[in-house]
Order: sequence, then C-alpha cells, then structure tokens
Amino acid sequence: MRIHLDRPRCEGHGLCEEAAPRLMHLDDDGELVLDVPDVEGADLDAAKAAVRVCPVAALRLAAA
Amino acid sequence: MTAPTESGIDIWDDDVLVDPYPTYAALREQAAVVHLPKNDMYVLTRYDVIRDALGDPETFSSTSIGFNPMVNEALQGTSLASDPPIHTQLRATLSQNLTPRALRGLKVVIDEKADKLVAELAASGSFEAIDSLARAFPIEIVADLIGFSGHVKDNMLRWGQAAMQVIGPLNQRTQESFPIAGELYGWCSSVTAEDLTPGSIGRGIFDAETRGDIPQGSAGHIIHQYLGAGVDTTIASIGNIIALFGRHPEQFELVRRNPELVPAAFAEVLRYWAPVHIWGRKAMRDVEIEGVTIPAGAQVGILFGAGNRDPRHYEDPDTFDVMRNPVDHLSFGYGPHGCAGQGLAKLEAHAIIEALARRVKTLTISDEVREPSNITRSLESLQVAKVVAA
Repeated sequence: MRIHLDRPRCEGHGLCEEAAPRLMHLDDDGELVLDVPDVEGADLDAAKAAVRVCPVAALRLAAA
Repeated sequence: MTAPTESGIDIWDDDVLVDPYPTYAALREQAAVVHLPKNDMYVLTRYDVIRDALGDPETFSSTSIGFNPMVNEALQGTSLASDPPIHTQLRATLSQNLTPRALRGLKVVIDEKADKLVAELAASGSFEAIDSLARAFPIEIVADLIGFSGHVKDNMLRWGQAAMQVIGPLNQRTQESFPIAGELYGWCSSVTAEDLTPGSIGRGIFDAETRGDIPQGSAGHIIHQYLGAGVDTTIASIGNIIALFGRHPEQFELVRRNPELVPAAFAEVLRYWAPVHIWGRKAMRDVEIEGVTIPAGAQVGILFGAGNRDPRHYEDPDTFDVMRNPVDHLSFGYGPHGCAGQGLAKLEAHAIIEALARRVKTLTISDEVREPSNITRSLESLQVAKVVAA
C-alpha cells in the first residue's frame, strides 16, 4: 500500500508524525515529508494509525 | 424509502443544553441518525457516522452550518460556510497563521503567561476559575495575537459568546445575541492595519492583503473568524479542565506525577465534555445511513458529544480517564473543516495543564454553574473553594 498526501490540505499538525515516526516527519519548515511512502507489515499498521489521526484528512492509503 | 427514526425532544431545550449526555445516550441508542421534528433536523449520534459525514463535504455541505437562515447568509464567503473547491483557498488563508509551524514562536510566551497566572491563583487560597482563568487567559492570548487592546479587548467575551449563540435556531438566545454579534461584525468591517499592534498576526493579515497575497477585503473576515471561533470555545475547554480535575482528583494526581500525560489529559477533557454541542450541515442528496434516509436539502445536526461517548468506539466512554489518549475525538471536528485553531487551542490548554501540574497540589470545587447556550457548552462560574499550592 502507498501513503498519499494531499499537500494543500496538510497544515502541519504533526499527529501523523507521532503515530508513525519511522514513515514520516515534519521538516524544519513544518512541511510533511513521507520518508517511507510504500508500506507493508508493521509499517502498514503505523500508516493506518497516521491516516486515522490526521485531523484534516490529508492522508490516505491506496494500492501502490 | 425507510421512514427515519424520530424523537420528540428539542435539542435546544434548556435542560438538555445544560446536561445533554443522558439525551445523547438515548438518541444514540435509538439510531445513528434521528429525525427531530421539533427542530426540523436530522441529528447524527454515533462516532463512525459523524466522522464519515465530516469527511464527506460533497454529501454534507457546510453552506448550512448554522441553524437559522440569517446566520448562514451572514457567513457566506467565509471558509467556515463554504465547500471545496472554494473552501480550499479560503481555508489556506485562514489557517496559515494558525498552523503549528506558524505558532511555534508563541509557545514560550504562552507558557510563561500560563505559569504566572496559575502560580498567582495557586497562592491565593481560593478563586473563581471562569473569570480569573478560563476567560482571562485566552482573551489575553488572542488579543496579543491579533494585536488589539482597549474597548475591543473589553468586548471580546460578549462578542465571542454572541458570535456562537447566533449559530443556533431562532430562539430567544439567538435573537438577543444578533445585535451583539453585529457589533463584532461592524468592528471587523471597519478595522484597519493602524488599529492593530505592529508585529501582531492581525497586522500581518493586513500586510498580506496590501501585498495582494489574499483577496482585497478578506482581512476583516479572517479577524472576525479568529474572534468568533477562538474565544468562547477555548474558554469552555479551559473551564472544563479545572472542573474535571476538581471532580476527579485522582486523575489530576496522575497528571501531576507524570506531566507527559498533559496532551492525553487535554484530549480526554475535550472528548468527555465537548465544548461545542452541535454544528450544522446540509444534505446535498438523499443519503441513506444505517437504514435511515436523510432527504436532499435537509438540515443536519452533528452531535460531537454524542459521538465522543459512543461505546461502539470508546471503551467505558462515560469514564473520565487521562490515560486514554483519545487522539481521534470529535471535538475539533474532522476533515477539511476540522478546527483551524486546534494548534493554538492545544498550546493554550497544554500550558494551563502543565502550570496546574507544576503549581497546584490539590484543588476543591464548591460550586459549578452552567447556563444554557445554543452552541457552546461552558461553565458560567466555577468556585475553587480551596487550592493548595505545590
């Protein structure tokens, strides 16, 4: 599965980073960087958690 | 077409507004969508249904976020009351000063102010928490942020309360509040850059308008939304923090012993007592949810507090538990219209909870007063009979 980011919608709340620190992080400007966009196994669970906590629904998971 | 499940309750009845949770539980157990003929509205009662609706602006439009036509008319052209794609640009303009990255520099100042205020109150032996803390703190923060003082600051509380009240149905509370909300509207229509402190975010919004970064005439609108949305809601949640720690001293003790629980504690305060009762949407098509059809064009009401206590989503939902960390609570809404000011709200509330954990050993509440209000659910007064400084 691949994590998709709706860039204009992302406001940098950072909850996804807390849920999945291995997969994504906010850079120094507060822009979200997807470090591991393609996920499986344990990463997939973390990615689901990140998608779930985004308060503005800027992340989604879809087939790679 | 299945007939919707109906209930004869009035969701804006005084008794329901003061203590809505028994009503929410009854409605939620009745169905995920309940038709309230008295309010000419369909309410969403369960967690999943609410979250799905908030994430689906094509079906659930924000053009009817208020429960009377006048307020929806007045809110036209704001991000609050618009749908994508227009919403996307308006929202970006509104939120660019409120994102966590934009607010990063404010944290130190907010923390210092919270610590000073809480330390003074902790040393005083007893205090009334709503005026002296829940109202005083966010009003000062927002006034500094937008860059005003004097008569505007003095009016912020009544303007902010009225701006929320008029979102309700055309009851007496709404009608009495329209003239006051109009004062706020009038001020925001005439405010200029020179009225605001140099270096403030408010001044920055006018500079952006002058540069052409945001549409001409939008600066006043944005300031209106900051004042309308950022005052009454934050006041409610800070008052609720004190009230819930007073009612649950063992929970406060957990936070005192482990300040890492501060964000989880605030999320739980928001989940347990939603600062906003209800928010509107309009059904854009016939939509069937769990066997109930909401007809196209119908007014929809989203009951955040009902969803937050849904046992289908949260275990033991009527228990206040600071260890729960319900990061997906519904009190900030969700999706494209999710609270734009949640970063600032968290900065303020976390600063207060951290200061309480540092400065207060115990607090005892003697009196808690609520008055019915259409949209915001907050305490009118909260007497801390005894506070022991740490």
